[in-house]
Amino acid sequence: MTRNKDSHQQAPIDRLIEALVEDILATSDADLLSEAQADDDNGATVTRRAFERASRTIALRRLAQNRRSARGRRVVGGNIRALDPKTARGWLEEYMASHPDAARKVSGERSARDRLSDEDVYGMLEALQKRGVLKERAADQGPDRR
Amino acid sequence: MQARDTGALLLTELEVKRAISALAPPSWLRLHKAARALCRNAHFDAEDLLQEAFERALDGSRQCSRTLDIVHFLVGVMRSIASDWRKARRRRPEMSLVSPTGTLQGVVIKVRDQRPAADEWLASTQEATCLRQAILDLFADDDVAQRMLEGIMDGIAGEELRSLTQLSQTQFESKRRFIRRRIDKAFPQERKP
Repeated sequence: MTRNKDSHQQAPIDRLIEALVEDILATSDADLLSEAQADDDNGATVTRRAFERASRTIALRRLAQNRRSARGRRVVGGNIRALDPKTARGWLEEYMASHPDAARKVSGERSARDRLSDEDVYGMLEALQKRGVLKERAADQGPDRR
Repeated sequence: MQARDTGALLLTELEVKRAISALAPPSWLRLHKAARALCRNAHFDAEDLLQEAFERALDGSRQCSRTLDIVHFLVGVMRSIASDWRKARRRRPEMSLVSPTGTLQGVVIKVRDQRPAADEWLASTQEATCLRQAILDLFADDDVAQRMLEGIMDGIAGEELRSLTQLSQTQFESKRRFIRRRIDKAFPQERKP
């Protein structure tokens, strides 16, 4: 009730503001320019400045979003040896679990994966990478449990 | 299919940016004047309102129809933001930390009742009434302008308002401009109605 009265009191001023805005939209370009000259109005500069600031803000926001989504993603074409041994082994295990036949060919029929050295793991991952079958994933992502 | 059709009717974010960048000086001026009008009797700044409207247009959170003039679109965005900001300001709860015991453990968060208190309502009502009177007084030398202003503030618009003033269309538009110009000059920026 109280709030309604408050809005009711505000409404006449809101209506006036709306009428002023309508008039601004209906005023010709020439009249606006002459008004600005007469009033020494730098509104055009202020508006352009606001636009430039908004453009920069949006560009920075998009950049930050892109960085966030790129962070943690490793391009498969990158350096496999930059992976830590545990992650590399996880990737290989994941691949072998989902592609037993292909894995067998790369590993030369080695089946006891736990006996592979780190060097073996990196080598096999590089071989898979060369064949283009290693899929992109987050660097900090553990083995895919599918 | 329907979504695709709707999408084709809207400007892309890049198109919006290009359309704004290509605006001529009178359009920049028009946007500023509209922002100033919408900020009147409010507690925010025209430049902030403009920037917020540009951001929403550029990030696609407000979308512009291809058939709509970009300046009218931006004024619409500003109108909506200004309305939201006014409402938010009215609703904003004030919080304070009270520590009767002087210890952190004893701190109580007091949230202000969001309904306007009687004194606030009275102050707001008085302010609006004073403002209305101040505007009318500004045109004490012009009966027609006063009639027109009273009509506008009472919610009369268009042809009905024009016939109330008994002016031709051209005279009516000229009078409305005269009112806007005089209000522009008479009130300091923050307190303008």
